[in-house]
Amino acid sequence: MKILFVIEYRGNAGNTHAIANYIRVGAELGHEIAFHGPSQPLVVDGLYLPPDKQVARFSTDPSAFDRVIYLLESKLHRVNRLQEVALLGTIPREHRFILDADGRYNPFTIVDGYDRSHYDEAERAEWLEFYDALSDRIIKPTIVPSDDPKVTTLPIFGFDPALVIDPETAPPKQYDILHVGHNWWRWKEVSEQLLPAFEEIRGDIGEIAFLGLWWDAVPEWAAELDLEPAFRVEAEKFRKLRIQIKPPVPFTDVIRTMSTGRINIFTQRPFLQHVRHLTLRYFEEFCADTIPLLMLEDDLAEAVYGPAGRELTLPGRVAEKIMDALQRPDHYREIVEDARRYMAVHHSYRRRVEELVTALSD
Amino acid sequence: MKILLVTSVEPWVRSVSTIDKYVSAGRELGYDIAVYGEPDPELPSMTFTTDISDVDLALFVIQVPSDLPDMPELARLLDSVPRDKRVVVDLWGRYNDTIRLEHDFNHLEKLDGHLGWEWEEAFRSVSNTILQPALKPIRPDVESFLFHGYDPSAVVRNYDSAREAAAAWSKAGPAEKPYGVMYVGSNWQRWDQIRSFLERYAPVRETVGRACLIGWDWGARPDWAIELGIMGIDTDPAFLADLDVDIWDGCSHDNAAGHLSKAKFAPVFHRPLFRHLGMVTVRTFETFYADSLPVLMLPRDFVEAVYGPAALKLVPGDDLAAHLTDALEHPETYWDAVLQTRSHLAVNHSFDRRFQELFGLLDRRMTARGPQ
Repeated sequence: MKILFVIEYRGNAGNTHAIANYIRVGAELGHEIAFHGPSQPLVVDGLYLPPDKQVARFSTDPSAFDRVIYLLESKLHRVNRLQEVALLGTIPREHRFILDADGRYNPFTIVDGYDRSHYDEAERAEWLEFYDALSDRIIKPTIVPSDDPKVTTLPIFGFDPALVIDPETAPPKQYDILHVGHNWWRWKEVSEQLLPAFEEIRGDIGEIAFLGLWWDAVPEWAAELDLEPAFRVEAEKFRKLRIQIKPPVPFTDVIRTMSTGRINIFTQRPFLQHVRHLTLRYFEEFCADTIPLLMLEDDLAEAVYGPAGRELTLPGRVAEKIMDALQRPDHYREIVEDARRYMAVHHSYRRRVEELVTALSD
Repeated sequence: MKILLVTSVEPWVRSVSTIDKYVSAGRELGYDIAVYGEPDPELPSMTFTTDISDVDLALFVIQVPSDLPDMPELARLLDSVPRDKRVVVDLWGRYNDTIRLEHDFNHLEKLDGHLGWEWEEAFRSVSNTILQPALKPIRPDVESFLFHGYDPSAVVRNYDSAREAAAAWSKAGPAEKPYGVMYVGSNWQRWDQIRSFLERYAPVRETVGRACLIGWDWGARPDWAIELGIMGIDTDPAFLADLDVDIWDGCSHDNAAGHLSKAKFAPVFHRPLFRHLGMVTVRTFETFYADSLPVLMLPRDFVEAVYGPAALKLVPGDDLAAHLTDALEHPETYWDAVLQTRSHLAVNHSFDRRFQELFGLLDRRMTARGPQ
């Protein structure tokens, strides 16, 4: 099958990374998968990688594809008008799909009086109107089945054992605790659970760092968009706890960077956890040479990682779990290996591509 | 028959006048014809619709990218109207290789964000039938359909004879015709021709009368053109001031002929791209509505093919000043050419005729394709 992904290509975003994996694994299975748009060659250390080393493939020719998937995140990504005409005029409606990556195809929902599915009902109506015009088929990257006949639930992201960092070649450990991800609807979890725990054990642990955008300050444009709660930060608390803030890393460097931490803490946006969306980070954490500790409910962790998942959850025991992992790294490495074995069976990209092709063939 | 005109219409610019004629002429002929979109209070006489059910023919009349609807309307339209009922009318020669002539062009990414291949793929994805208002389109898969037309009922003042017309024209005083020459159209890729015209008109300015330009950006090169480095919107305020040229901002489409009637002469210019492609425009025909003598600043073979042989009288030779002076001295022969040309246009380029040509063309294509 030939599948074209229309997505806002961002080198430091999880969805872009996942589709790059589909392109690579899809080719091994005989499928042609590409990003829509002009070629954006991967540059490493200032040098263009040769064609055979390029992770991503790009195309602006919709007629070369059987299916198109519009991967929509927090905004209605649009290609330019003429390319939009070419896409819509070439790929018939029954072959157009929407991958609802940020859970916009849901009722208006507010989680914990804080994170929300949409700004308000009017914004939801605008999204639904756009979706309805574009396609009858919605793919939700969740493990929860849907009774909506338009919806196919399909974990889109996967685990690639080939990406697991060998401890022998892993970069040196710089941090005891690392959090890699942007500050986007994370503050409640961070301020209410993580920071108090860090404070409790701060004298007993080494460096802590948060890598990503918007941990240092709320972006200037957030207030204008009424999005200040999504980016809330308390720089003074970070300073007091000696938490380093570092810039984001491109998707090609995420796993290696996470390997510089003895522990990586995984957080997920509350609304996406509420609708059980599996993001790429669920799997990337387990490719790094680290001990992932998860801000997830036990049942969800087990559903994704198997029984070992329960051993890695943090809610209600953050300080205790961090100290235990730092003191018994070999024990935790075994737990992580169990989770990896489970994911290799249930969440491989090979399986994901096959599931996707089956869903698109219906 | 339900016909949808898919395009953007604004009262002041581009081909709104022709679109208005298609709607009114089409409805008189019994077609259910409307412009796709919500009603525009600035165009109260134009019929709009968002009902895209059972459309028999959707004409995508394209000049600029925004002539194509935005989402979600775009998807609804393309999904609801089958491909074989969609036709692209490419008014600006977008469906060609990239052309550069003087400062003119058919594709320019820095202006509208689109490259040549994007125009091609977009048009091909909309329809197999691509029409251009050119006598002989360059590409073999494009057919000639002049699109713009002539509505005899829009003529500002009709005459029974050239003598009557010439007498009225010669007698008109400053209150009726305060200008000697007037051009209605915005400053877009025509400055070189306008300047050349005015330079050659200058020696007889006192005799002919004051010149007037009505349209956007004649007074000064706009800031956006300076920022983007877009040429072809040049102007020379000092030169225009020296010649005492009056400059007005743009006028709405239904006032163009009325304004032109306030001048003795009304030149017709086509931008370099359109001259190269042999394309017609709104003003190709609309200028003949005015109570003014058209001055056809166009190639003679093009003039004869579109306007008929009588119109050659209205094409000045190398000596524009002599042409204008001769017309002032012998107006009857020029008005005879105008009246003959109006008759030719009424017979060959009416909107009724355009509908016949369009349906004939589509029938031929359908027959050539055979049963689907």
